[in-house]
Amino acid sequence: MELTVTGANAITSPHLHVWDWRVSLYLFLGGLSAGLAIMTSILHVRKGGKLAEGEIAAVTAPLYVPLILSIGMFFIFLDLERKLNVFWFYLTVQPLSPMSWGSWGLLVFYPICILYALAMLPDQYRPKLTLPFLINLSERLRAYRLHLAACNFGMGIFIGIYTGVLLSSFVARPLWNSAILPVLFLTSAMSAGAAFMIMIAKEKKVKLFFTKVDIWLILAEMVLLPLFFYGQYTSSGAHRESILPFFTFNHDYFWYGLGLLLLVVILPAAMVLKFLEVQEDHGEELTPVALMKMNLSALLVLLGGLIIRFSFVYAGQLSHLS
Amino acid sequence: MPKYAMVIDQRRCVACMACVVACKKENDVPLGDFRTRVVEKTEGTFPQLRMELRSELCNHCDNPPCVYNCPTGASYKNKDNGMVLLKKYRCVGCKSCVAACPYDARYINEEKGFADKCTFCEHRVKEGKEPACVATCIGKSRIFGDLEDPKSAVSIALRENHSEVLLASAGTKPRVFYIKKYGKPE
Repeated sequence: MELTVTGANAITSPHLHVWDWRVSLYLFLGGLSAGLAIMTSILHVRKGGKLAEGEIAAVTAPLYVPLILSIGMFFIFLDLERKLNVFWFYLTVQPLSPMSWGSWGLLVFYPICILYALAMLPDQYRPKLTLPFLINLSERLRAYRLHLAACNFGMGIFIGIYTGVLLSSFVARPLWNSAILPVLFLTSAMSAGAAFMIMIAKEKKVKLFFTKVDIWLILAEMVLLPLFFYGQYTSSGAHRESILPFFTFNHDYFWYGLGLLLLVVILPAAMVLKFLEVQEDHGEELTPVALMKMNLSALLVLLGGLIIRFSFVYAGQLSHLS
Repeated sequence: MPKYAMVIDQRRCVACMACVVACKKENDVPLGDFRTRVVEKTEGTFPQLRMELRSELCNHCDNPPCVYNCPTGASYKNKDNGMVLLKKYRCVGCKSCVAACPYDARYINEEKGFADKCTFCEHRVKEGKEPACVATCIGKSRIFGDLEDPKSAVSIALRENHSEVLLASAGTKPRVFYIKKYGKPE
């Protein structure tokens, strides 16, 4: 079949993309901050707060959440063609637009994670806030730590799901148009959050706790990924064709095939490493070798999350209903 | 209330591209961007070939995914005439509508940053004229009119011919109908 199209727009041509690396990075960093928010809440609530005792990550992790989110937001801001019109997001509510309720959700998430970070600041760190207003606020918020932890957890789940719904709501893009995608993105976000927590934590008990958490999350990802592809394969013709880039190892789709191949290696490798870390008798202190292994497996998880976002954002735009 | 629609009679299209040029001129569409296009699809094995000529544009859907996905309300469906239009001053250029359109009918106006598309030449329709592509169509392949008016050209064309819409399974309920050159028997 020969196809000639006169008048095709560059941006709607299948060879180019509507959304690029900026959106991919936003989805990854947004997911990472959401996952970290969830893990931070768990750290503070677990065993009545005993797990967080003496752990520096209990102070730094809540601070990283708004920081990582801000970097992610910077990238999505870069993607907007009319940046000065950004205020229109907050002058309307479009209930059927995931981007609208996502932007409102982010507006709620920001103050919650900042207030939570203030509430979790130990007494000895408060003077570093410098401003008396902030010190007072931090002291007052201490009484509401549990409530804020619950809100932080809930908003983390919301943002994690939102990053997937943002893509899955498009009927025009069969690869994205799957109910599994938001669950996959949430699981990947939580897994990345746990991995980040392992990297910044100092205490052995905290590192091992989140290693155990991450094992289950990676396992969930390894179940969800094949389920996603199976669901697409057994769906309509357009859905079946949409996953072809991942399984066609020719020069056109090389990066998608490589991405899937890497995921198939990275996720099990990270899980095995983590399993060995949990099984090992570490003694009182973690040895430098054990620490390196933990950081390596955490990095693999973060890399896996990045590959998922990039490959899905780009491959989704190759898929069409016709 | 009028309910505007377009019928593309593919039997009469000669792929002269006059509609593409007229649209660009009428709507001051930037270089490299298009609000309408003509697809020329050749199928079969030589010498038994057949060609489909299909003009494509915004389908002004009754169930428009671009409107639902717009986070700022810039894309909207005009309640008075059913056209899917854009409040340019509200558009942030997030490209959500571009990704949401199953017909790839939208593009980003690189000069001004907003997501542009066919408007059925609303400014001309308000003056009682036909859209530029319809007015210029030498083969009278493009037919425009009010679906609510049984005497309008579109109503007559749809009544007298078998017509189809693009990607009916997407559930968008398009308002651009195609009378095919071949396909289902008439």
